[in-house]
Amino acid sequence: MKHLIFVIALAGAFCGVWLHAQESTPTILVSRQLAAQEGLNVGDAVELATDERGGKSVAFRIAGIYEPTPDPMRLGAVPREVRLHLPDLLALTRDESTPEGTEHVEAINVALANPEDASAFAAELNAKMPGILARTTSGAAGSGTTFVVLERFHLAIAAVTILASTVFLLALTIMLVDERREAVGMLRLIGLPARRILVQVLLEGLLIASCGAVFGLVLARGSEYLINAFFQWRYDTALVFVRVTPSVAAVCVAIAVPLGAVATVAASWALLRRSGLRLARR
Amino acid sequence: MRGNDAPETIVEAKDLTRSFAMPAGPVFAVRDVTLSIRAGEHTAITGPSGCGKSTLLHLLGCVDAPSSGTLMFEGKEASTLSDRERSLLRLRHIGFVFQRFFLLPMLTAAENVELPQAEAGVPRDERRRRSLELLDYVGLASRADHRPSQLSGGEMQRVAIARALSNRPRLLLADEPTGELDQATGEHVAALLDRVNADGTAMVIVTHDPALAVRARRVLTMRDGRITEDVSR
Ligand SMILES: Nc1ncnc2c1ncn2[C@@H]1O[C@H](COP(=O)(O)OP(=O)(O)OP(=O)(O)O)[C@@H](O)[C@H]1O
Ligand SMILES: [Mg+2]
Repeated sequence: MKHLIFVIALAGAFCGVWLHAQESTPTILVSRQLAAQEGLNVGDAVELATDERGGKSVAFRIAGIYEPTPDPMRLGAVPREVRLHLPDLLALTRDESTPEGTEHVEAINVALANPEDASAFAAELNAKMPGILARTTSGAAGSGTTFVVLERFHLAIAAVTILASTVFLLALTIMLVDERREAVGMLRLIGLPARRILVQVLLEGLLIASCGAVFGLVLARGSEYLINAFFQWRYDTALVFVRVTPSVAAVCVAIAVPLGAVATVAASWALLRRSGLRLARR
Repeated sequence: MRGNDAPETIVEAKDLTRSFAMPAGPVFAVRDVTLSIRAGEHTAITGPSGCGKSTLLHLLGCVDAPSSGTLMFEGKEASTLSDRERSLLRLRHIGFVFQRFFLLPMLTAAENVELPQAEAGVPRDERRRRSLELLDYVGLASRADHRPSQLSGGEMQRVAIARALSNRPRLLLADEPTGELDQATGEHVAALLDRVNADGTAMVIVTHDPALAVRARRVLTMRDGRITEDVSR
């Protein structure tokens, strides 16, 4: 059994068709933002009109206040919206020349109880109703749309950031290792094999890189919260702007830890080869 | 003078040469040095700056490998050992003392002395006991838990000597061990080195300091990479 909600986007108004019957004064839902701005409450009576001057207005009663579905494409536009029952919307918007029942709808969005079914549902609908085209939202977004481009842009920024920070990290490690030149030289002189010191350095590198990765993740988690809180406040939306998913975290650790270890070993390598003698000669 | 009961040879160098490739041609730091160091011997190497004293000491102590010639350490060929093998030979059989002490600043005196033993695989309790013994030997038992930054130069050098003795080496090599110390402290350290030698450790000390050189029973003088004088008393 599929429970469907039809939502029609039309001239800035949203309309929900609910499976229960209408009452005498037709009811509407009001977006949280509109309700807050206009001081509307559940039970209030309002009048809606399609005409800017308020002609041919129809009376409605507010049955509820809803949180609009966040839409990144409409970021910054505060949703001053209402949802009407479909027959009410049609009655409100139909012009005189259009006979009842012949209204034209270009697109409807269908939310499935189980989003996993989207492809199967679209395929089934396409097979049963040759007049319409059903697509999943991700399919409809297609490649080359704004968000795919944005994602590639993010990937490029990430690659540049990692490259730049690797160079920085390497320079820093070389400096730090250099500071320990004397200790390493001394250990070599009293007879620690280079490999023994390298293993030690590698372990330290791994430990530091792991601590760094954990620190980075905690920082990311903290900024995730702050960035979302700020922009959700700024744009008055429930949209999630940043999300540190387990797979993002795993990729970060998988890059950071080996990179840190390699940087430490690379920085120590040259030093280890000659340090004992150099030190003794000074 | 030396008969069959002469002390066993610890290091035997034959035609030892060490050159460094430089843009203007090779620099010969040590040339054709033939020399042996016997168990319990007390030797000083002197000579002008740049004559190759340190380089020779590094060759004898297997820190560096010769360009040509052979070096036998306790009867085994050492000049052809790999870097790793030379490292382990140093760790277990040779003690080093340097002009600038080279203690690890983050470790206490006792931990510095323990370090070579730990690397040589001595069990924890045993090395702790030996470190305290050695610190007592150099007169620093009360400073075992002090870090190098809390010690004076002379005290640091005494800790360095204790560390050099940590794995009971039969040979102790020292490069200008009193070079950073004032005269009185230097004498204190020199007396300690004499005692180490009297207790059976062969010793080769590179020094500019005549007061330190005269304490040795054998004095080698170098010039331009060669041993020009070998005087025993
Ligand atoms: N790594 C090296 N590369 C090039 N030349 C070197 C190197 N090490 C030593 N030498 C040269 O070998 C010669 C002997 O150096 P060494 O350090 O053994 O002298 P030294 O007798 O210990 O001098 P000092 O008394 O000043 O310590 C010097 O001319 C020095 O410049
Ligand atoms: Mg020198």
